[in-house]
Amino acid sequence: MSASSSGQPKLPLSVDHGGGRYPGLDTLGQSSHWDMATTGVVAPRVGIPVGLRFFTQREEAVACALTDQLLGQHEDPRVPVVRMIDSRLAEGQGDGWHHVDMPPDDLAWRNSLAALEEDACSRLGAPFADCSWPEQEASLRAIQRWRGAWHGMPAQSVWSLWTRYADTAFYAHPWAWDEIGFGGPAYPRGYKHLGLDAREPWEVKDIRPTLDPLRLRENP
Amino acid sequence: MKGLDSRALRRRNESAWLVPADGRDVNHRLRADMRTFDDDDEVDLVIVGCGAGGSTLLQRLARRGWRVVALDAGPFWDPEQDWVSDEAGSHHLYWEEPRVISGADPVPLGSNNSGRGVGGSMVHFAGYTPRFHPSDFRTRSEDGVGADWPITYADLRSFYEEIEGELPVAGEHWPWGDPHGYPHSPHPVSGNGEVFLRGAHALGIDARVGPVAIANGRFGHRAHCIYRGFCLQGCKVNAKASPLITHVPDALSRGAEVRADSMVTRVQVDDRSGLATGVHFLRRGRQRFQRARLVAVAGYSIETPRLLLNSASARFPHGLCNDYDQVGRYLMVQGAPQTAGRFGTEVRMWKGPPPEVSTEAFYETDPTKPYKRGFSIQTVSPLPITWAEHVSAQGHFGDDLRRYMSDYPHWACLGALCEFLPRADNRVTLDSEQDRHGMPVAHFAYSQGDNDRMLMKAAREVMECILRAAGADEVITIDRFAHLVGGARMATDASQGVVDRSCRTFAVPNLFITDGSVLPTQGSANPALTIMALAARAADLLARGARSGQPPTRKP
Repeated sequence: MSASSSGQPKLPLSVDHGGGRYPGLDTLGQSSHWDMATTGVVAPRVGIPVGLRFFTQREEAVACALTDQLLGQHEDPRVPVVRMIDSRLAEGQGDGWHHVDMPPDDLAWRNSLAALEEDACSRLGAPFADCSWPEQEASLRAIQRWRGAWHGMPAQSVWSLWTRYADTAFYAHPWAWDEIGFGGPAYPRGYKHLGLDAREPWEVKDIRPTLDPLRLRENP
Repeated sequence: MKGLDSRALRRRNESAWLVPADGRDVNHRLRADMRTFDDDDEVDLVIVGCGAGGSTLLQRLARRGWRVVALDAGPFWDPEQDWVSDEAGSHHLYWEEPRVISGADPVPLGSNNSGRGVGGSMVHFAGYTPRFHPSDFRTRSEDGVGADWPITYADLRSFYEEIEGELPVAGEHWPWGDPHGYPHSPHPVSGNGEVFLRGAHALGIDARVGPVAIANGRFGHRAHCIYRGFCLQGCKVNAKASPLITHVPDALSRGAEVRADSMVTRVQVDDRSGLATGVHFLRRGRQRFQRARLVAVAGYSIETPRLLLNSASARFPHGLCNDYDQVGRYLMVQGAPQTAGRFGTEVRMWKGPPPEVSTEAFYETDPTKPYKRGFSIQTVSPLPITWAEHVSAQGHFGDDLRRYMSDYPHWACLGALCEFLPRADNRVTLDSEQDRHGMPVAHFAYSQGDNDRMLMKAAREVMECILRAAGADEVITIDRFAHLVGGARMATDASQGVVDRSCRTFAVPNLFITDGSVLPTQGSANPALTIMALAARAADLLARGARSGQPPTRKP
């Protein structure tokens, strides 16, 4: 496991999957340039995680396996996305809407995790978290492609709920920013070098600019 | 801005000079010294909602000596303490109280279109402030679709000019609609804007820098933009306009009260006189009632209809002002597909303000096309979480998602605003679900029409062409929606809408609606400027009425 100069771990990601494109980028290492309010919301994401308040232990197991799949987190260190989702649900920090045929987000999470567990037990004979990576992936792909109701909820709405919360938690994290070349908070410093191929002195150039994800998909 | 213009502007609205010159965001003295009214004071006007419409009305009438209070459900923001340069940490800027959505094309609410707190949605709007075109006010007559407004572009023109000066708006000379210039010169553009200009130029499409409500150069004591790119997370710099800095300071200095953290639950109407007498609101857990001679509702297209529907009485059994079943109807969103293009060079689209360059070359009806009306195209530049949602929407997850995301610096992104047409069944009703106050939540049903779908497709094709012409090797598009207008529309008579041409409700002579819900059509323009101009016009008419002897007659 490698670490940045600010002592933060690098998330494990293979070169084929886009790992290591911005060597040395260390957004948390720039935190002396951030304002206090921003540091106050970003720093806790890499601090000691608070205990779970919303998910039960059984739900936690399913949620961890589910979000590992959604975000390709195969091994530690991981961004603690389930803790972050748990906090939002415990605090009632929803998105401000829900579909008429879906319950509010907190209940939708509980119901959909229970449904995932039920499917795994009845079809694969094991709790979802104990299924193999390919088995989990195949079940999720089936739900993603399903058009219609899944355990009484529209499958597409469930998929959207999961990915919305998972993406928000993961890409709020400074380790993820380092992986994608994003510089993080920018106040009060701002940017001086705007334009194509223009970088601030502390920004890091992509060392594999030809790793176009669409081409990779066409010629894997 | 020339010296004379600047002096005239300052005589009209001194907000930019009331911001402290020491680099702080907030004039705390102005807030500490704010005049406060008692609930039993019969104020001249109580305003519900302190966003684009409410704040403008507040400032204009405070200037005329009116005793005015604006209530807002959210906080009275202090940008330095309350706002952050971070995407996930900005959830509190959005209206996150529960709402239910349905229909064939349900529209997600919250972060994309619903603000909260003093300043309203303009706190997190990108900053684009285009005018509507003259044709927008006559789409029924000219194109056989939508609705004609009971006012014309000429009725709004001088108010557009005033508000553009007060925000202020920066941009190139604008050749579309009613051609006009802007008070501040265009900002420099980042990689994303460069891509748009280059692609448009290659295709012979006219695209221009602006119009953006970010001061460019000296403007009172407001700070200059630092091009940090977090416009949608609230401008901590005080460079991007929102009523919190453009109209509220002047209102406070003229004796207005802004009462934050006050959720209005009902407008009270006296069934005998037929007049509004004030508003019921909740503050710090207590039920209160503010008396007023006039009431203006400016809670935006979801909360304004919800409040009217929740204010039913013996006289208005189906909801206030709803004798003709018009409240909540004709609610519109714009189709807002976003198309991203992949470049070998690094674009780093998150650097610089997302609003940079736009074109209105496709705004008007093109007789050679099968659809009516049109769309505009603008730079947008999603931050990582929003960008991840784009990528996820293509079906990617797991390793695939991570690989896409690692390519983030290479993508440029454009967004369209398609003029979706008003439909009676696109509406807000009250749901059986209740919020924590026991008030029914809003239920918003939305479905597109055929014209809407054709516009989405056409806009997507143009954006793909522009990005390819700029050198993109791959493009991806996500279909989404933006903005909310309508829901209590302006009309010539009560059977067709909720308010008249002066924003006065047909049903209750001393009740006004001064927000985006009064718009009968929406054009392909971002609505903030038009909402402010309409509120400024309503204020002007009200103030003239006062001089001619209509209420209020009380001396301030």
